[in-house]
Amino acid sequence: MAHEKINDCVVFTNLYYSVPDNTWVRVNDDDTVTIGMTDVAQSLAGPILHAKAKSVGTQRKKGRPIATVESGKWVGPVKSPVSGEIIAVNESLGGNAQLVNRSPYNEGWIIKMKPEDLAADLAELLTGDAAVEAYRAKIQADGVTCTHIEGTDEY
Amino acid sequence: MEDHEGKKILVIQTHGVDTPTRTYSPLYYAVAAAAMDMEVMVWFTMNGTNQLKKGEAEKVSLVPESGVTLKSMLEMAMDNEVQLRVCQQSLTLWDMTPEDLIDGVEILGATSIIDLALEYDHVMYF
Repeated sequence: MAHEKINDCVVFTNLYYSVPDNTWVRVNDDDTVTIGMTDVAQSLAGPILHAKAKSVGTQRKKGRPIATVESGKWVGPVKSPVSGEIIAVNESLGGNAQLVNRSPYNEGWIIKMKPEDLAADLAELLTGDAAVEAYRAKIQADGVTCTHIEGTDEY
Repeated sequence: MEDHEGKKILVIQTHGVDTPTRTYSPLYYAVAAAAMDMEVMVWFTMNGTNQLKKGEAEKVSLVPESGVTLKSMLEMAMDNEVQLRVCQQSLTLWDMTPEDLIDGVEILGATSIIDLALEYDHVMYF
């Protein structure tokens, strides 16, 4: 899949991003979405110890937390980039939260959601070249270099 | 597990820059609760007050080689809308004036802590 690397930070051009909240959205074939943390987010957090998602069935408005993530040096919310109902959580993170570090865009996904108004929410996110350029500016402004722990996905 | 979103947590911090290892966890818990969508306040009193003096918290390194300082933890708390409050009376213990406090901290009196302790869903004391 097409992607760019900026200071070792991977940005896929087919995903939608909330750059301020460092989350990504993948639109699935059935019009549900998968949501996760970006490579930048996992790098800034460092090795993740716990990732606790809200329960299936929870209704979330965009910007509200869908999960809480803890590392040794950081704790914070994963804010939902879309509004809707949580229909699945990544149970694998319960025993292996570092999947978020190793595979932020694949095995380390956080939740799946049935969106309320996907078109409206996607219109406020960035994708493709616009996302790459926004991340390039953010990464350079913040002086971020992504780090990948042993066993990380090769992109 | 029950979702405790919307609950109110009051964290009382009595430790300060003289005991760095007792300053990290209370702020970490406070931010964790805020990230879980709870309303969180940290109340600094006794020795806890001295970490709020301008120029002090940045001197305290908390997580070796990570760049995490007491100042960055206080900032992370404020970024996550944790409310920081300090006891009016304890300022005098450290010869501090309101102007000595870092930005974002509100001063409250002793009666307020009693009201808050009764009003909040849970109090964590450190």
